Amino acid sequence: MTESAQNVNLPDFIVKWVDVGVFVIDCEMKITLWNNFMANHSGHTADKVIGRDLFECFPELPKTWLSKKIKSVFILKNFAFTSWEQRPYLFRFPHNRPITGGVDHMYQNCTFLPVKNEHGEVDSICVTLFDATDIGMAQTLLKEALDSLSESNNRDGLTGIFNRRYLEQRLSTEFDRVKRYGGEFSFVLFDLDHFKHVNDTYGHLGGDEVLCEVTKQASSLLRTSDILGRYGGEEFGIILPSTGMEGAYIFAERVREIIAKSPILFKDASIPVTISIGIATFEPDTPNYEHLINCSDIALYASKEGGRNRVTRYAPDTAT
Amino acid sequence: MSVVVPLSEDQRDALQEITNIAMGQAASSLANLLDTFVNLSVPRINVVGVEKLPSAISQLVGRETDVTAVRQSFQGYLRGEAIVIYGNDGCKELGDLMGYDEELDRSAELELLLDVSNVLVGACLGGMIEQLKGVGENNSGELSFSAPSMMAENVPADAVINASKLTWTHALLMEVNFSLESHDFISHLIMLMPEQAIDKMRGILDEFIASF
Repeated sequence: MTESAQNVNLPDFIVKWVDVGVFVIDCEMKITLWNNFMANHSGHTADKVIGRDLFECFPELPKTWLSKKIKSVFILKNFAFTSWEQRPYLFRFPHNRPITGGVDHMYQNCTFLPVKNEHGEVDSICVTLFDATDIGMAQTLLKEALDSLSESNNRDGLTGIFNRRYLEQRLSTEFDRVKRYGGEFSFVLFDLDHFKHVNDTYGHLGGDEVLCEVTKQASSLLRTSDILGRYGGEEFGIILPSTGMEGAYIFAERVREIIAKSPILFKDASIPVTISIGIATFEPDTPNYEHLINCSDIALYASKEGGRNRVTRYAPDTAT
Repeated sequence: MSVVVPLSEDQRDALQEITNIAMGQAASSLANLLDTFVNLSVPRINVVGVEKLPSAISQLVGRETDVTAVRQSFQGYLRGEAIVIYGNDGCKELGDLMGYDEELDRSAELELLLDVSNVLVGACLGGMIEQLKGVGENNSGELSFSAPSMMAENVPADAVINASKLTWTHALLMEVNFSLESHDFISHLIMLMPEQAIDKMRGILDEFIASF
């Protein structure tokens, strides 16, 4: 027969065995209660730590910060908390998933409770420590999954660069930012010349290879803040933050040049590729980002009309 | 939408008085804790319908600023959620006072915000409930708090709260300015309470007034 309820003090029994860390410290930072959860995970049994200074028993605890936290509970007579999300653990405990873990230590949520005596003074503090490893792992996995989902959602399947949806989203953000805080930025739109001919001559695999290589060459010229995306079939867009028309023109010329002078090798063939480029830059009276795309499209069209393999800067009279 | 019953003038005066004292006590405890002069302003109090909350918040904080917000729930004799809103310079300077000796990384910064919020909410509500102890029926004079958590980071002031997603209809809005000797920073404290809790508080306030 197990111990009968009459023979044990039930609250004591619960505190001792509950699957939550419970310990108490007095105003001199001495440990006065240490339950089995704490003993089992720390490897320090109650009789080894009771009556001793908390920081002496656990020198690895962040002393300055934790003493301040404990002091705040004494002074303010208020609850205090730590959460695994900001501070993964207070005590460096192994967790309960030695095999399926994937994290180093037990994630912990702690609550510091002021223990008041009959005069309403706080003479000790009870700390409860919850194992948050499962929640932490689930949340971490979820976040990873969501991150990779949103990442692949933003990418073009063939070239791996950003897709049109993402490009437009960033263009919209950049537009709002510059509209609000001032500054400049430009949008470059380019299109492969005679791409249909490439596809007809070398097949779709050849065409795909050309798209990927052009992407690589253009990417190699980007600054870290520039954003390259595939706008449509053989059409690409580049957002150039903090770049005015002249800077954008120099950049676009470089892209045009590098592509024009590096023919793409496919099987035994060397495929010459050129691109036509249109640039539009943000003006204070640009009504919205769609307008900017429109302008760069008009400039791009002018490049095509003008004989291809060239860069055209949008000006209000370009269209005429 | 339900009709918002504002606090009567007497109720509001009583609550103002109670929170003034609570804030005075909180300021002296905080000064003791942080070893620096702390000033908590006299709170400005109002009860608003939840649908007015987003615009009330952007009026408090300023429409153009981005803010960071922390939420914490409390239960016991009073029940609800407290929200503390910070401007974006936040309270980084408090780091050393709260015992962070290293340069704050993002996690430490958030933890600090949670800590400061917890202290403000606890001091404010704790002070209130302390003075109302024994007033009203079954008033244990005790509250418990759940852990504070991040509610929004760097969002426009009117986007902190999505009024259509709130199940509660009233909010007790308290504006508390928190400043230190060395530099000022302002935080705004908002208490959201379900209707029954606000009604209950009205009752307590009436009894509190009658006890004088």
